[in-house]
Amino acid sequence: MKPADRLVVWCRRLTVMTRKELVQLLRDIPLMAFLIYSFTLSVYVTGNGIQTQLRNAGLLVYDADRSLSSRELVSRFHLPYFRFDGELIHADEGFRRLDRGRSMMVLDIPARFHEALVSGEPTAVQLLVDTTNAPQGLSAAGYAARIVGQFGQESVLARNGLAASSSTTVPMIVSDHRVWYNQDQNETWFESISHLLRMITIFAVLLPAAALVREKERGTVEQLLVSPLTPVQIMLPKVVAMTLMILGATAVALFGVMQPVFGVPIRGSLFLLFSLTALFIVATAGIGVFASTVTKNQAQVGMMTLLVVAPILLLSGIFTPMETMPAWVQYLMALSPLRYFIEIATGILLKGVGFDMLWSQALSMGVVGASLFGFGLWRFRRQFQ
Amino acid sequence: MDQPEILTPPPAQVVRVRGFVKQYKQHIAVSGIDLEIHKGEIYGLIGPDGAGKSSLMKAIAGVLTYESGTVEVFETMIDTERAAERVKQRLGFLPQGLGLNLYPDLSVDENIDFFARLRLVPEHELAERKARLLAMTRLDKFRARAMKNLSGGMKQKLGLICTLIHEPELAILDEPTTGVDPVSRRDFWAILAELLQERGMTVLVSTAYMDEAERFHRLSFLSSGKVLASGTPAEVHALVPGSMVTFEATPQLEAISRLKTGCTQVEALGPVLRVFTEDTNPVSAAQAITSYLGDIEPQQLHVDKLDLEDVFVALLLREADQPPPSPELPTASVSSVNHGLAIEAKELIRDFGTFRAVDRVSFQVKPGEIFGLLGANGAGKTTVIKMLNGILPPTGGEGWVAGEDMKTAGGAIKERIGYMSQAFSLYLDLTVEENIRLFAGIYGLDRRATNERFAWIVSMAGLQGYESSLTVRLPMGVRQRLALGCALVHQPRVLFLDEPTSGVDPIGRRHFWDILSRLAREEGVAILITTHYMSEAEHGDHLALMYAGRIVAEGSPAAMKAQVEREAGQLLEVVTDQPGLALRQLERAGFAGIALFGAQLHLLSRDPAQDEVRIRESLASEGLHVLGAAIRPLSLEDVFVHRVMALERRDRETTKGAAA
Repeated sequence: MKPADRLVVWCRRLTVMTRKELVQLLRDIPLMAFLIYSFTLSVYVTGNGIQTQLRNAGLLVYDADRSLSSRELVSRFHLPYFRFDGELIHADEGFRRLDRGRSMMVLDIPARFHEALVSGEPTAVQLLVDTTNAPQGLSAAGYAARIVGQFGQESVLARNGLAASSSTTVPMIVSDHRVWYNQDQNETWFESISHLLRMITIFAVLLPAAALVREKERGTVEQLLVSPLTPVQIMLPKVVAMTLMILGATAVALFGVMQPVFGVPIRGSLFLLFSLTALFIVATAGIGVFASTVTKNQAQVGMMTLLVVAPILLLSGIFTPMETMPAWVQYLMALSPLRYFIEIATGILLKGVGFDMLWSQALSMGVVGASLFGFGLWRFRRQFQ
Repeated sequence: MDQPEILTPPPAQVVRVRGFVKQYKQHIAVSGIDLEIHKGEIYGLIGPDGAGKSSLMKAIAGVLTYESGTVEVFETMIDTERAAERVKQRLGFLPQGLGLNLYPDLSVDENIDFFARLRLVPEHELAERKARLLAMTRLDKFRARAMKNLSGGMKQKLGLICTLIHEPELAILDEPTTGVDPVSRRDFWAILAELLQERGMTVLVSTAYMDEAERFHRLSFLSSGKVLASGTPAEVHALVPGSMVTFEATPQLEAISRLKTGCTQVEALGPVLRVFTEDTNPVSAAQAITSYLGDIEPQQLHVDKLDLEDVFVALLLREADQPPPSPELPTASVSSVNHGLAIEAKELIRDFGTFRAVDRVSFQVKPGEIFGLLGANGAGKTTVIKMLNGILPPTGGEGWVAGEDMKTAGGAIKERIGYMSQAFSLYLDLTVEENIRLFAGIYGLDRRATNERFAWIVSMAGLQGYESSLTVRLPMGVRQRLALGCALVHQPRVLFLDEPTSGVDPIGRRHFWDILSRLAREEGVAILITTHYMSEAEHGDHLALMYAGRIVAEGSPAAMKAQVEREAGQLLEVVTDQPGLALRQLERAGFAGIALFGAQLHLLSRDPAQDEVRIRESLASEGLHVLGAAIRPLSLEDVFVHRVMALERRDRETTKGAAA
């Protein structure tokens, strides 16, 4: 056979096998339902539902002073951050209320609070915070400290006959921040993007793994092995088909939910976004190919996917920044394509940066992906020897 | 009103089914079946996959609800779960599938104990029963072995023990012999017959093997949820009067096409043709066939009784509105005519660790030849095929397939062979057309060639009208022909078929074999087939029997039978009024290797005339009557069982010798 003919046959095989995978996937109704749900409704719910900022923290007040100042201070704890849950009659009731868990914090204002402020004596208020949920508790304490500090500063200024607005005439440092990329500090943007990335990761592992194991389970792989197809020709069409499918689903999530509903901006190049998403899917699919070689049926593939994907999702920097993790986890996660893809996706969507800024992440992702894919392929070939 | 005339008391009825209907959503699985099972008999349900056997058995076992009709077991109406609970202690149910009711990680002993305790068998009785059943099934040496490490036949015997450990009055066994090798199958029937004699048990059993029908006292033949025939084997025989004419004729293809003008069943078994006629008189039956043949002279012509399978095929044809599609094999441009051998295996060896799965196997297959590789599960058949297909590298030896050396030209071989596996290996979620086009693409056919081959496959396999049906909805027979079509899409010169006919109804099977023999005869395709359906092996031109990785017998079906007849004698069939007692009496009298087939006894005899006299005398001394005795042709199953038993005996003696 001439090399040109060989190429034609090679392409023909790739085409028919890829088409077969797409048809099979489209006819797998439960899987399609799961896919559609994950890229539409689930993105919407997560984008709306997950809030890491402080919201509605229940506040109880024990006000032993009942003065102008104490009421003024309490009034500064307001929605959307704090929810006023009422006043306590006895100071010792505070702990019991926190134990019950309905409210998150108790503000204890001592008697003679107002007098002390007016006369310039030092005074203190006590705040009890439930930090069972550490990030929420700590951020509530932080907010409260800022409110109390601000209140104290203003009352000092007022006692010296200065209005709060005249702070510019007083020598003090004002911290003034400018918010970039997400001026409204709209959390739904990051949450919906990171959820989309989670879904892409899960399906990039699950779909090829399930498709490969299904052939094993039903015995059709035997038929493929006695045909002139090489292991690469058996595996590659699955990865290609699944990549196309996930790219389509990503487009639906982006243009069907995130842009119209949450107003997520697409500031960079769409072409770049989808090209690098494709690279990410192929890179991650290597893990799925590997998973298919160590499992025998669909149920095992499901569990294996969970086992492999969970740490990737948790530790790649979607939930918490990489910088906060121990060094060894950071080194380990250098192997996760998702670690690079987060920067790429948020970079293109929110920052609008181009390939000139992202090439190093893209290169790292490519190298890691090539090694994972190579490893998966090696395992895949080996299991039939 | 007529006065009922009662001569003998009616037999006690264990099961009575009236107008039974079972529906799965839209699909009617069973439509109106009547059935009565008498105490102490083996009642057989025979039919292809999807005939409704399992549904009926599950309903009788009280584990399946049904739409209408009545099911009575031990005179208890099984209409609620509570009613089913009342009789469950008195029955045992073995579901379909090899060892599916057992726990793979438990040992033989633990499995039996588990089922016994579940059924509240008293401990002192358990020990005695277990010992007896284990000895009977020859599993006593494997008590500590985990169930998952048993062979298929052993698993099924263990399943039977677990079903019978509480000594049920009624045993319901769903396809207990499917996928079990012929020797274990014979064992299985012998155990069942013995328990029936000793305990007065009643058995309801289903099977997809038509040749097992002769073993039942009474039977029902099911097809598409209906009973086509029922009664004793003799009564069913009487439904279709006729005879089978077998002969050799050349040219065979011309002979077949002449016969098809007038005969409904024409089958080619290697060089032999089997033709059904409704004529029961041997002389005029032979004349009728000769007249169809015209100037072709039939050789070695015999006229035989019909097999039960022939009866079923005739009944199925009667039921069908139109005659079966006679396969058209459109002529395809044969790319190259191969000279020399299609397959040659020379001293092939394959080891898995220290286990030698294939041991110096050599054989040759010529173009246009159908070569059958026979053997029990684990004999090494599939390993041989995998090596020849280039999936598995051999440990030693050489092989050539389609003119290429399998060591150096694996790729080229794969382009030239077709392969069809047990599971048919089709994509069930694709349509017929999508499957064919997929495989055409895999073999690199261009658009024009694909269209050509698509048309060829559709007409060859009789798929007209099914093109856009999902494969999962196809009947098994059609699915099988589609799989064959997909294996032939690239016009291979060599075709490998690994256990290709499981679960297909008899007409579908004959249709399939029709196509295979045409492929071999007309297009010169070499076909290598493995099977443990011995009745199928009759179609082969040349057979090789594998045992423990080696080929232990080889030859044409006729030659293999003749060899066994020379070594061990002819098959003598004895019909008596009390087969169970007769069997025991004859064993006491020193006859060995007698098998019970329903009311008949089969044994191999070197001197049938003299043995018949001895048998009659021996039985007469006990007051038993011989109703008939005749010499029957050996089946390939007899050959297989004879050979394998002899080898097993020799193996046991060598191990004993080594131990001593």
